[in-house]
Amino acid sequence: MQPPIYYSKAEYIETDTGNKVSRRATIAGPQNIILGGKTIISSGAIIRGDLRRTGPGHAVVISLGRYCLVGESCVMRPPYKTYRGNFNYYPMKIGDHVHIGANTIVEAAQIGNHVEIGRNCVIGKFTIIKDCAKIADNTFVPPNTVIPALSLFAGSPGHFVEDLPESTQEMVEAMAKQYYTRFQPDPNEPTPAPRR
Amino acid sequence: MPPSIEFYCPCLASTPHPPPPHLASSSYSFHPLHNLFFCEECDAIRCNRCVMVEVSGYYCPNCLFEVPSASVRAEKNRCARNCFMCPNCRNTLTVVPSDPPDTGAAIVNTVGEPPFFLYCNHCRWDSAEVGITFEKPTGLAAQLQKYEDSAPESLEFERLKEHYEPHLRASPSTGPAAPHSHHTHTNPITAAASSALARDIPGVGKYTPHSSSVGRNRSSRNKGNYNEVPDYRARVEIGSSNFTMGGGGETDVDLMKHLEDMSEIATLEQRWENSWMTSLQTGDLKPLRIPLHSKKSKRCPSCRHILIKPEQKAQSVRYKIKLVAANYLPAITVSLPHLYAVLAAMRKPGKTPQLSDIESTMHAGKTYSFQLSFTNPLYDPIQVRLHVQRSLPSSSMAEDGGGPSEKRRPPFSVTLPSSAFPIAAYAEAWEYEDDEEMFGVEEDDFDGGGGGRGGGREQGRGRTKTIGILERRANVTVIGGEVAISKEARGNIKFNMLVSYTYRSDDSEPSEEQSTPSRAQVQNREPEMKTFSFYTAIDLGTIIPREEHKSDAMEY
Repeated sequence: MQPPIYYSKAEYIETDTGNKVSRRATIAGPQNIILGGKTIISSGAIIRGDLRRTGPGHAVVISLGRYCLVGESCVMRPPYKTYRGNFNYYPMKIGDHVHIGANTIVEAAQIGNHVEIGRNCVIGKFTIIKDCAKIADNTFVPPNTVIPALSLFAGSPGHFVEDLPESTQEMVEAMAKQYYTRFQPDPNEPTPAPRR
Repeated sequence: MPPSIEFYCPCLASTPHPPPPHLASSSYSFHPLHNLFFCEECDAIRCNRCVMVEVSGYYCPNCLFEVPSASVRAEKNRCARNCFMCPNCRNTLTVVPSDPPDTGAAIVNTVGEPPFFLYCNHCRWDSAEVGITFEKPTGLAAQLQKYEDSAPESLEFERLKEHYEPHLRASPSTGPAAPHSHHTHTNPITAAASSALARDIPGVGKYTPHSSSVGRNRSSRNKGNYNEVPDYRARVEIGSSNFTMGGGGETDVDLMKHLEDMSEIATLEQRWENSWMTSLQTGDLKPLRIPLHSKKSKRCPSCRHILIKPEQKAQSVRYKIKLVAANYLPAITVSLPHLYAVLAAMRKPGKTPQLSDIESTMHAGKTYSFQLSFTNPLYDPIQVRLHVQRSLPSSSMAEDGGGPSEKRRPPFSVTLPSSAFPIAAYAEAWEYEDDEEMFGVEEDDFDGGGGGRGGGREQGRGRTKTIGILERRANVTVIGGEVAISKEARGNIKFNMLVSYTYRSDDSEPSEEQSTPSRAQVQNREPEMKTFSFYTAIDLGTIIPREEHKSDAMEY
């Protein structure tokens, strides 16, 4: 029932698997980034796939599942630490149906499925977010925090607020799918962009 | 605020009819659909306020370890591994070693140099500040628990337990709570505690939850036993000088007198996490073991059937049993087509639509159409009938409205189609259709003119037809209604709506077959047809009062 969200066709690149990536997003090291399909990368987002683990061979730095949303001006960069004297980046894994609000910085190690992250949040290094968790707007999650499944976190530093309802999974899934359906090219746009 | 709809759970009321929606108290009876449960046995909606909650498992929210319930009690409901909470900011603490000595850079100790201490990487609090350091980075919880257990209150509590233990063991088990009791936590210990309280402190008895008939019976039955318990003599006198730090005695007053900085006193939130009363001073805060979380199963309050039963694994989000109302009741969403028209108009000049701008566009003295979209979750088609609960010419509206003339007329009147309308059955196949074109073709010929989706269609249709079935596709039916706002109206357009739906119950809910004889009254002409009714509260938004009223209000 909600109205469509129109975007300028010239701005977004749509892949075969239905990913929609803004040309105004900064995607560094795209060969190290996996998008699961039907994932939207909004304009101004920065995804640092170039910050890879040292060593030879191919390395996946950031992987996103299906029906994800990376909001406007989000920064996604892999966590790093110095372990036994060696500085290294570590991969970031994000599940399906994960929405990340605008202006949020994510340095998590792992984000499960059906997770909602609000706007203007900071998700600290090596944070682990389990399935169906929710981070309220303007939350600061300190590094190394573990957010259990079906819990709402808010505040600075973010802490547990309440348990989410049992039907969270279905709701978030429906919301994420609906968002993708609503996100469509503007039909009234005067000049259709040349396909690349 | 976009228009919203909430569903009624009758657990708080004595009548099946909900309170008028503009009363502040009514918000406690209405819930979003996804927060509600549905008991098949009772054929009733249940909410989080009325279900019986049982703990089905404990886990630490930080290390996610599933704690067996046997050790939960011994470990005092807190994590016994290496999980600690910063007493200052409630962040998780990390164990850090001391700086290595400058000389021997060659010796690489993998765990680091003792002494170890706990450090908060959010507020930079560390446990060395309060003199807590560790020789080894393992088994810290046991060391801290030792400290916790030596608190005078803790010792006192242990002694109290010891004192009553033989008596509790001897007294006959009260067994599981009676089926109709709402008090899920009735066990011998709480029953004993509350009846002891009621006996010793005059006036408490009538406030305890056990004043219900069930509780009274139990306490009167056990009364004889409690008198046999020998008197308990406290080991520490309350108010003795060595004990009053934080207890509100002379020492606290002294501390307050010489206080120079507000931050020297710990906030209530910082002290609240402690099991026992602690010092008021920030400097005395100790690291806390993280309190455990629990997974809960939920039961119907009247028939005790399980509504929610989570899987054993703590971080699993699946359920063995999950009877949520969203699987039984049609989901309803409310929308105001004129808002979309505004949105579309705003979009034309190239502006980005902002929801805040269109927050309230309902002017007094005008008529607006609204749409209700019903989604059928059942595998059978249903027939739905709507009925608006007439809002009484009510007190609260008149109170904040002022004028006595407003009392007589309701501030708005709602028109909805009075005849029943069908919603097609839910089919799994629709779930997989990601192409939106597929939605349109299914049943478009029902009311003619599928048209494009989105704002344009809603505008166009809004003009031709506003009341009745606007659209049918898949398992969704869109119904149009109208609200006429009176000239004097103000406040929110909020009304209660009764939704009745008729469904065939034979194959969709096989578990109900045993219970059909008891539910004969809801069966009408065909044996399989059943009707279920529930109330909803719809809030369409705030009415913008007329200009002259606005200027009136300004003067006040």
